[in-house]
Amino acid sequence: MYVFSVPIFFIVFRETLETGIIVAILLSFLKQNIGGPDRDPVIYRKLRNQVWVGTGSSLLLCTIAGCGLIGAFYSLNINGWGIADQIWEGVFSLLASLIISIMGIALLRVSKLQEKWRIKLALALATHSRTSTDTATTRFKRFCEKYAMFILPFVTVLREGLEAVVFIGGVSLGLPASAIPLPAITGLLAGCLLSYLIYKGGNMAPIQVFLIISTCVLYLVGAGLFTRCVVYFEGYKWNHMTGGDSSESGTGPGSYNIHTSVWHVNCCGISINTGGGGWAIFNAILGWSNSASYGSVISYNMYWIAVIVGFLSLLYREQRGHWPLMKKSAAVNQDSDIDTPKDPGEPEEPIQLPTLEETDDKSATTKAVAA
Amino acid sequence: MLPWFILFLLGLSKATTHTYDFNVTWVTANPDGLYERPVIGINGQWPIPIINTTVGDRVIIHLHNQLGNESTSLHFHGFFQNGTTEMDGPTGVTQCPVPPGSSITYNFTTDQPGTYWYHSHDQGQYPDGLRGPFIVQDPDSPHKGKYTGEFILSVSEWYHKQIPTLLTSFMSYTNPTGVEPEPQAALMNDGPNATFPVQPGQTYFFHIVNMGAFVGQYVWFEGHHMRVIEVDGVWTEEAEADLLYVTAAQRYGVLVTMKNDTSANFPIVSSIDEDMLDKVPPGLNPNVTGYLIYDSTQTLPQAQWLDDFNPFDDFTLVPSDGLGIFDNVDHSMTLDVVMDNLGDGQNYAFLNDTTYLPQKVPTLYTLLSAPEDLVTNTAIYGENTNSLIVEHGEVVEIILNNHDIGKHPFHLHAHNFQVVVRSDAEAGDFDPTNTTALTTAAPAPAFPAVPMRRDTIQVPPHGNVVLRFRADNPGVWLFHCHIQWHMQTGLMATIIEAPLALRAQKGSQGVQALPADHLAACQAGGTLYEGNAGGSTSDWLDLSNANYPPDPLPAGFTARGIVALVFSVVAAFLGMAAISWYGAAEFKTMKVGN
Repeated sequence: MYVFSVPIFFIVFRETLETGIIVAILLSFLKQNIGGPDRDPVIYRKLRNQVWVGTGSSLLLCTIAGCGLIGAFYSLNINGWGIADQIWEGVFSLLASLIISIMGIALLRVSKLQEKWRIKLALALATHSRTSTDTATTRFKRFCEKYAMFILPFVTVLREGLEAVVFIGGVSLGLPASAIPLPAITGLLAGCLLSYLIYKGGNMAPIQVFLIISTCVLYLVGAGLFTRCVVYFEGYKWNHMTGGDSSESGTGPGSYNIHTSVWHVNCCGISINTGGGGWAIFNAILGWSNSASYGSVISYNMYWIAVIVGFLSLLYREQRGHWPLMKKSAAVNQDSDIDTPKDPGEPEEPIQLPTLEETDDKSATTKAVAA
Repeated sequence: MLPWFILFLLGLSKATTHTYDFNVTWVTANPDGLYERPVIGINGQWPIPIINTTVGDRVIIHLHNQLGNESTSLHFHGFFQNGTTEMDGPTGVTQCPVPPGSSITYNFTTDQPGTYWYHSHDQGQYPDGLRGPFIVQDPDSPHKGKYTGEFILSVSEWYHKQIPTLLTSFMSYTNPTGVEPEPQAALMNDGPNATFPVQPGQTYFFHIVNMGAFVGQYVWFEGHHMRVIEVDGVWTEEAEADLLYVTAAQRYGVLVTMKNDTSANFPIVSSIDEDMLDKVPPGLNPNVTGYLIYDSTQTLPQAQWLDDFNPFDDFTLVPSDGLGIFDNVDHSMTLDVVMDNLGDGQNYAFLNDTTYLPQKVPTLYTLLSAPEDLVTNTAIYGENTNSLIVEHGEVVEIILNNHDIGKHPFHLHAHNFQVVVRSDAEAGDFDPTNTTALTTAAPAPAFPAVPMRRDTIQVPPHGNVVLRFRADNPGVWLFHCHIQWHMQTGLMATIIEAPLALRAQKGSQGVQALPADHLAACQAGGTLYEGNAGGSTSDWLDLSNANYPPDPLPAGFTARGIVALVFSVVAAFLGMAAISWYGAAEFKTMKVGN
């Protein structure tokens, strides 16, 4: 039985990491601003608890939503769809490949994740501060102010969590339900651990090495899923040509289209029935197939070329401030999710950011929240 | 439809000559009542004529190919053709295909009694209609006087598409498992409602013949017993049977005694062996029903279909002549049936790892045109004719092991073979060490003392048969599965029987001793009639021009696969390098920021 889905592990890991960073930023902010020995410990504890309660309740909600959604997917009984199975499997593989490919980038930029959330949270807090200075104060607004430290993580985590649920749903469509719990739990634990390490500060270098290795594995999986998508589509076409007859052939002659075959070895098949358990893991992580077609080989290589071009372009943009082959001015559009830093020369935003390092900067913004 | 009732005059003991002009043409027919289609008829008629002769008679058939778009030939299934191997009919073996517009004459004697049939032996053509029964009367039959009338009861499966179309999709890389085309109907006497008018209390001789090209059929008479008296032209001692299994090309002669009561008519049912179909197409009626008509004013009752078939075991039949087992085997050969794919992705059939392919020169013509000292060298006939040379007079044993999951009705031209062993399905290969006295004088008890002889035998799935015959008939004879689909993919071998005696028989003129119209057909069709398998008459051992099948599938990685794999691995590593490079830029941020 297939019990560990690598994409699901990474998705949960990444979303947990992101949630962890949000919580860490908020906690640091509280600690720095009102958690000192000369501050009010009651308010500090209250606000800190708000953060935890907001995060926790949000997580609970997401978990419930996730279970419900995935349960609904499986109740559709995808395996009962016959020959169109391969079309679905192909679409799911493609979806999973795209999801983890896009998500993977952020994993390498923990500092940017932190940066992003600092900005977002600061903006959110600034909004509250502005509303509090308004003359027209409604009860709702006051409620919001009073429970900002609950609402902020609650809403943010809920958003991230639902995103994770949708992504997990997306990549798990082609998988048995048994493949979800184990990677979800381990991903959650790994994400919490890493968030804690980041929160504690300390040496980020080993963490970054770990993230680089993880991302490499993630993209290996992504490449494998991408090529499997092509394999599924080709399998559908081949079954159509043979009248569904090739499924009888197992992994031997006849199971593949000889005219599009690049290699076919009569061993190392991925079917567990034929003793290919080990090869099935190889297939899940690296996209290995004992029967490769022009389509699967070309798609595999194209995926990596796209990855190479994509990452080099990102690096170029970070260093030069604009995309390769584009004029500098045209490049300063803000991509909201894959946040790249602004041009070094650009002035910082006027709002003061709460950072983990700040110790004594008590701006109007932060005071307003604390009050 | 007129009943196919045949009343034979008795007492014609003088050999006569039956001469036919057969114009082979396309006609339109709708035999199953489901679909009208072009079929191959003779003289504008379909079904084609039934040939009736008496033992010793001569048959002369002038065949004129007026199809316009296909070559043709005729094979007279089951006849020994002793002395007339060139009249046997398979193209590429004993003659060239007769091209459209050409004519050829078949001239031979019918020296054996019983139930036979004739059919095209060219390009898997006969299921398009060119097949018909051929009955030889025996004034000296041991069962003479036991019956008052005779009927022919032919069965076959029927296709709506024509063979060339079916072959194109069958022999294709898109049919890698070699799934045979599924028939659309079963026919009895080439129609859906054959009737047999009978008199109460009388006994009739039914000549049952499966003229199909693929599936075996179960045949039974509701409410009546059969007594088998003939199998593939060999008189047997009477054996009671309720259900017969008739493979493609097999025949049975049975006596059926009518009831003394005309109050009801009775169905005769023939049912396709659905085990042979990869999947039973929806809407296929595997059964076809005919009727024993006691009273034409009575209704025709609905037949009772069977779910369980327990057919008569033909292995138990005993020939009337009492010919004992050939217990001194001079020449034993083992043939293994295998189905596999070749490098073009198609499914092929193999006997001992060699798939049959017709060569550029018909094998008989190679034999007659070659230098005398080379005719016993199988190389000149081409590796893919699967040629096996047997000496004149020796007792030949064929051990046929079926490594395939399918049933294969094997047919040997020009001989009745003794069936000395037939295993159960899934019994595996024949093990000679496990059976005593294969080559000793005294036959082991396991072997029947008087084995059943026939010319077509069902080889069970993953089982085996052992066949014996005496090589007393010089000629070039095919040994093949009679499923046309398998013949086309190569499930054939060529028995080159007594090649030196055959050359002596045909005289010093060699191939020129053959009828001029046979050679003219070759010329008209552009087929070579002299030379080795590749058509070479200068260097007889140069087979470079012979026909060969595609190469086997590569077992593992080819150069193409290795290049692709290396490229993929390099791409993956470069990709990970790019990821790492991008990820490493984070270290810089750490020093500055965190």
